Amino acid sequence: MDDATSKSFDHPYTVLGEDPSLVIPPAESRQRPTKVYFWILTSTVFLLSLAGLIVRENPNRAENSIPAAGTAIPESSQDNVRFLPVGEAEGVSAKSYPSTRGRLSFNWTAADFAWQRTSYHFQPEKNWMNDPDGPLFHLGWYHLFYQYNPDSAIWGNITWGHAVSRDMIHWLYLPLAMVPDHWYDIDGVWTGSATILPNGTIIVLYTGDTNEAVQVQNLAYPSNLSDPLLLDWVKYSDNPVITPPTGIETDEFRDPTTAWTGPNGTWYVLVGSRLNTTIGVALVYETLDFKNYTLLDHPLHTVDGTGMWECIDFYPISTNSSVGLDNSATGPEVKHVLKASLDNLKLDYYAIGTYDEGNVTWTPDDPEMDVGIGLQVDYGRYYASKTFYDQNKGRRILWGWVNETDADYDDLAKGWASVQTIPRVVTYDSLTGTNILQWPVEEIESLRLNSTEFEDVFVEAGSLVPLDIGNATQLDISVEFEIESTQALEESMLGETESQLECSVADNRTTLGPFGLAVLADESLSELTPIFFRLAKSNGSLKTLFCVDETRSSKATEVFKEIYGTVVPVLDGEKFTMRILVDHSIVESFAQAGRRVITSRVYPTEAIFDKAKLFLFNNATDLNVTAAIKIWQMNSADIHPFPLY
Amino acid sequence: MKISLNILLSLIFLFPLPLLSPLLPSSSTPNDNAIVSLIDQTCKRTPYEDLCISSLTSNPNRSRAAGVKELAGMVLDSVLLNATDTLAFTRLLIDRTIDPEVERPLDYCAELYIPVVKFTVPQGRDAFYRGQYKFAEYCLTDAARQADACEKMLPGSAVSPMGDRNRIFQQLCSVAVAIIDILSKDQ
Repeated sequence: MDDATSKSFDHPYTVLGEDPSLVIPPAESRQRPTKVYFWILTSTVFLLSLAGLIVRENPNRAENSIPAAGTAIPESSQDNVRFLPVGEAEGVSAKSYPSTRGRLSFNWTAADFAWQRTSYHFQPEKNWMNDPDGPLFHLGWYHLFYQYNPDSAIWGNITWGHAVSRDMIHWLYLPLAMVPDHWYDIDGVWTGSATILPNGTIIVLYTGDTNEAVQVQNLAYPSNLSDPLLLDWVKYSDNPVITPPTGIETDEFRDPTTAWTGPNGTWYVLVGSRLNTTIGVALVYETLDFKNYTLLDHPLHTVDGTGMWECIDFYPISTNSSVGLDNSATGPEVKHVLKASLDNLKLDYYAIGTYDEGNVTWTPDDPEMDVGIGLQVDYGRYYASKTFYDQNKGRRILWGWVNETDADYDDLAKGWASVQTIPRVVTYDSLTGTNILQWPVEEIESLRLNSTEFEDVFVEAGSLVPLDIGNATQLDISVEFEIESTQALEESMLGETESQLECSVADNRTTLGPFGLAVLADESLSELTPIFFRLAKSNGSLKTLFCVDETRSSKATEVFKEIYGTVVPVLDGEKFTMRILVDHSIVESFAQAGRRVITSRVYPTEAIFDKAKLFLFNNATDLNVTAAIKIWQMNSADIHPFPLY
Repeated sequence: MKISLNILLSLIFLFPLPLLSPLLPSSSTPNDNAIVSLIDQTCKRTPYEDLCISSLTSNPNRSRAAGVKELAGMVLDSVLLNATDTLAFTRLLIDRTIDPEVERPLDYCAELYIPVVKFTVPQGRDAFYRGQYKFAEYCLTDAARQADACEKMLPGSAVSPMGDRNRIFQQLCSVAVAIIDILSKDQ
């Protein structure tokens, strides 16, 4: 089983392009990293930049615009980062922000914590969850497995949790699928993927952390394929099937992908790792029987400076249709997406490129936007995403793990941590040709109750429009904005002045923004989460930023309040559109039909229950917008244990 | 040689047995009156008594009904038969229609019924026979939900192209759930 051949890798030195995304602590290139130093450094940069953004004052405040915070929320210094985030010691990505033990916790009540639980997003009844695993469709049921700690609300004792659903929305909990019970996974049954063979057989490859903390890849399969619930799983008697090859660190070798076919009945699988600590790499293994593997002498792809690649995903996408493709599909109208979760940044990156079947290599369409240096899958609190081919409806479906952004001890107090996003359909954006589109599965519409529609809402510069819709904590919102051609806009487009391409806070008023919605806002706006567009001239052209500003989302001081954002292409003739799913402490925001997505976690203390409200706002100084908005109340997905007996 | 002799003897010995069956005590099969009574008593406890009775009395296997469990099995068979029929009928309508306005909801309905026939109801039946009553009920409720979704998509004209098939199917599912409930309670 041991592929004993030692491999060395000749890697092309990739020149890193300019990272176009915003407000992210800069990646530190380092010679010989120790994780603690790295965390102190990035946390310092992050905290300082956050403090800098909040303290900014704005004198040009119109009466009805979102008032700036009276006093800057005091930010404590870097003495918070004494403690390693959970997970680090094991050699896996941190499963939490650095411990915030230095900060005082908000005095949460049980009701506050209960409110934070989502109503229609997947989360276990209690305890910790992280990466989605082995998603698949089988005999009428969608299956989701997930990294799960049955004993605590922080990472540890990792098992594969299991849930099924007929529609990927109404989930039913099943017993654990796999637990750490062999030497080769005794320290954790980690992330893995499922492959459905042409004859219907299901195989799962997953990373086991051994009794000596070595990361190995193991084979498992259902004990009874005709069981629609796939309750019982068998681990191959001769595990592990893949062990770390020479030259690869034994604790940087994990997350096997779904396999795809090569010529002559071979199958290929990727395992993520890093070379010389800084080069992210997708190692390729070849197999005929899923029991015996050979490491190819060259990786699928590497990108210098990106560090360890966790949760690699590799899949084909059709460029001329919105139909999903099986993992083995190839053809002239097929491109391949390569995605990696960067351990260093806790961010998911992807790139679109071309797969060379003959060489088993992949090349990005645009090397400046290569994996890890170009586009992110989601610009918010999002990690370890994984797709699968839904052969039921012919779609490529994307799952993503959304961790908490409150403190570890909050999670322990409330007894749970993490949710999954609503599964998204992934398609190629043929209009831009440079990115994928993500959109919540249509099955979510079955949760829609009543709707309220507002048309032609004129939101002039510096105004706020409350939307009277009743409950505002479980919503599916579609909004489109049209901007009025104004002098400022003309001047911006023609003139020389460049503005800073930065989301900034919502109460930072620039000529052409921000305008958008404020969700989970209370009447007095003491708490609010603005989601907005901000136009700015940059490099000679008008760009659109899409942003979520959490800085005033909560009065609690121990929760993290980020500003997430990215430039989003808005093509000629397009309106500015957003789709927003509000579900208690999670908000998923989609711009331009899914061209860019931001997932956000917020923990309001006031804007909860019936105090949460929804507003349209336009904080621009010289731009009027007209909005058309439709808001659905969303029902609960009533996720509960599977009713067996 | 020895083996075939044994077989021969067994055959000779057993041959007349089937002829004797009318003389054998009827094991646990009640007579017709008892069956009618059983069906009546059981169907009274379902939300659609008449539908329940007609479905069970028309079942060719009704003479084997020893108790509520067999009745439940029979209703489950009816549910599957009904769904299969409805799907076939819907496909027929699709073939015959030229109006895209009519075809679209019918396509949608067919898409809903396909997994009902292929997975949901058979799995419910399997679950039932394994004693997983709640699983069985979940499947039936889910199947009824699909029929409801189908019905909602159909044009709200005076006469629906599918007639009252969706409604009947939903009712049949309710009957099945009710009978399985009886079994659960009586356990």
